[in-house]
Amino acid sequence: MQENGVWRLALPLALAQALFFLAPLMLLVGTSFATDENLTQASLRAWRDMLGDSFNIMSLLNTLRLGALAVVATTLLAVPLALLHMAAGPRLKRIILLAAILPLLTSVVVRTFSWIVILGREGVINSALIWSGLATSPVALLQTEPGLILALTQIEMPLMLLPLIAATARIDPALLDASVSLGGSLLRTLRRVVLPLALPGLVAGATLVFASAATAFISQSVIGGGRLNYLPAQVWQQAMVVFDWPVAAAMALTLMGSVLMVAGALSLLGRGARHA
Amino acid sequence: MNAIHRRSLLAASLGTAALPFGPAGAQTTAMTAAVYPGGWDEALAAVLAPRLRQQSNIAVSFDPLFAVDQIAKARAARGTPPFDVFVLDPGPRVSGIDFGLFEPFDATRLPSRGVLPDGYSDAHGAAVAAQVVGIAYNPTKVAKPAGWRDLFRPEYASRLGLTGFGTTFGTISLIEMAKSLGGSEANMDPLFAELRRIRPSVAAVAQPAAMAGLFQQGQIDVMYTNTYTVTLLRSRGVPIAFAVPETGAAAFVTTMHIAKGSRNAASAYTYIDTMISTPVQTTLAAAPYFFVPVNKEVTPGEDVPMRSIAEISNFVSHDWAVINPLRAGWIQRFNREMAG
Amino acid sequence: MHRLTGADRLVALVIIALAAIGFLILVGPVLIVLVTSFTSSRALRFPPPGLTFRWYLELFDPVRSAQIHVAALNSLLVATLTAISATALATGAALAVARTRAGWARFAEGAFLAPLVLPGIAFGLASLMFFSWLHQPPSLLLLVAGHTMIATPFALRTVGASAAGMDAALLESSAVLGASPWRTFRRVVLPLIMPGVAAGAFLSFVSSLDNVPVSLFLSSAQTDMLPIRLWGMMETALDVRVAAASGVLVTGAFVLLLVMDRAVGLTRRMSV
Repeated sequence: MQENGVWRLALPLALAQALFFLAPLMLLVGTSFATDENLTQASLRAWRDMLGDSFNIMSLLNTLRLGALAVVATTLLAVPLALLHMAAGPRLKRIILLAAILPLLTSVVVRTFSWIVILGREGVINSALIWSGLATSPVALLQTEPGLILALTQIEMPLMLLPLIAATARIDPALLDASVSLGGSLLRTLRRVVLPLALPGLVAGATLVFASAATAFISQSVIGGGRLNYLPAQVWQQAMVVFDWPVAAAMALTLMGSVLMVAGALSLLGRGARHA
Repeated sequence: MNAIHRRSLLAASLGTAALPFGPAGAQTTAMTAAVYPGGWDEALAAVLAPRLRQQSNIAVSFDPLFAVDQIAKARAARGTPPFDVFVLDPGPRVSGIDFGLFEPFDATRLPSRGVLPDGYSDAHGAAVAAQVVGIAYNPTKVAKPAGWRDLFRPEYASRLGLTGFGTTFGTISLIEMAKSLGGSEANMDPLFAELRRIRPSVAAVAQPAAMAGLFQQGQIDVMYTNTYTVTLLRSRGVPIAFAVPETGAAAFVTTMHIAKGSRNAASAYTYIDTMISTPVQTTLAAAPYFFVPVNKEVTPGEDVPMRSIAEISNFVSHDWAVINPLRAGWIQRFNREMAG
Repeated sequence: MHRLTGADRLVALVIIALAAIGFLILVGPVLIVLVTSFTSSRALRFPPPGLTFRWYLELFDPVRSAQIHVAALNSLLVATLTAISATALATGAALAVARTRAGWARFAEGAFLAPLVLPGIAFGLASLMFFSWLHQPPSLLLLVAGHTMIATPFALRTVGASAAGMDAALLESSAVLGASPWRTFRRVVLPLIMPGVAAGAFLSFVSSLDNVPVSLFLSSAQTDMLPIRLWGMMETALDVRVAAASGVLVTGAFVLLLVMDRAVGLTRRMSV
């Protein structure tokens, strides 16, 4: 385990990724610069179709915004849950952790059904609203962006909550008591003591949630519906229905590049904040 | 679960073809057929596969794939076919022909071909089931719509589930709507104008995969679909009925094709032949499968507005060689209009 | 405990209220699926008109649900192999990255996570194109390889988090005492990073078990996968066995989680 030979441990993964991920990815890049999927002739048509079309650019921006909103929504709920976890006794800690893992255990197929049940015209939320008198007629939730974000909040929450809990669990409770006993308000303690220490977890979570929500094709198309336009659905349509693989490849690579850029920016932000 | 059964599950799980159970195993030939997931898969596995094994000693395994996925997978596989037999609707069928994915089909190798109406087998494949497309509605919530035009009236539009040009039934329903609005196969402008108008009020614009769930949960009460889906959902207690539009229901056939480069062509012909045979078509036409038979000797089920496949010529039909080149444009336009 | 001021109490109240909403959102949809799986109606329906065990019995019926059983066994096999390979690859890489201060390690850390951001459907299609080009038809091993690519980033995060907290002095003293690298790994390193390894294996297993886009392209008639079969059953027929299958999966995974938690304190290490 000396440092000089240790790089060899990363070799198997590097080789596996080169063969099973990078090589198919390169083929995708090649396809995007060809007239067809047999790579018979080089062409920039697919990229012109992707980047030169305002509708596709709009879809891309929608997709990135959806990822960002999913990050905001999961943060809003995951931070309080992580704080509660930090303050809770062992029993409650365990319950919160198990709840955090639960969405990972439900199959994507059934999850979409349960969100139709929750968000539908005659669904759980609308029944509750009408029963309580908060609404007189059903509110449109299914196939709206807020409805989709709510569903993504559940689906992606583990990716935010788990790193956050890991980060906050390392905070020494004595540090909090010290801050409060020195006259800091709760809010001040959270901002000055907890937030800086939780930040790496928050950045890791935000990256994962953003990447996952932006590429969540099944949730986007089934819960979001046809009036909301996101790039993964276009990739699917171009590849599977229209059979225009170069355009599908260009779209997939554009999405991948954009998500990577956001992830890179988040990582820089996290490093900057840590050193500030 | 008995021991033998468990062993066959294990064999299948290890990626080998299911081992034959019986003593006749030595001469069993194995083949692979693509099949639509869900109802088709269950029906063919329960009805066709046992018969094929019993009569012809062919062990078929099924690859559950939607039509578009079959085409994509076969194309990506470049000449090493992932399965021996395709099952496709007209749109993907024409794509498959264009991409050269099928072996030339010789109908004389189907001993049962006499049960098919004229023109139901050609140089590419043979018809194995029909589909009748019209309007499905929830009779406990809305009145029976008279025709395609009605869907654009506020009382229906607000309960309507729209799906685009991605599927064959979706495409022909939208074409019929365009015709009822004064357009044609070549002129979809009137349809898109109306879609744009009702867009904010329609109950859902969804993937075909989501339609049944949306209907069952009351999010939508009107959709366009085939008689098969209507009968299947009603048999499961969903309040749903089929309305034949005043301009007539549309019909098309689902066809099977032998994959280019298949090493099991002989078995594939036997498979298709058994599929169209009278006993199989009779069983598939009844509960719980509800297929629309293509066999002239078999009577279709109660929701199908015809007493024999011979009447299919009275139904609205479409020329997919004309439609397919236009469809990519419609798909894009539908996306754009709906995203508005 | 210190005394809370009025403003503090308000802040605490807001935190607890938001946490409660978060909890509800996490758990509610799963409860709905579980309740639905006991419906007496013949189609997936919520709220159920009555309750019965019928769909579970039908799900376990060896004849009527034979295809589901085959698909479930395939999926379990692929998920197990994926968990093993993803965890092994990720453990090696995480140790290398954690023990190195060189710049390449930071770069590699980022590069190893790249499969997370490519849309699954594009990866599946590209993989099939690539391996067909090499004349490799879809097979169980390719399926495991594809799933492993998707699962490795998760395992890398969990093992990486455990490995980062490892004391370098401990490893050096083991080496100084004459232990071989393999012995050091087994006796010193592995016990230290075990919770991260177990968490990585669990997440890889779960991600493979629920994968649709890669399986769609890399599975074949011989390797029919459970989520794809469930998708078909759900779409055309709203088959209630889908909910029952999901009930079995959730319960099974939950039990596995509790067992692993008892054994290695898994839940504390789920830091993806």
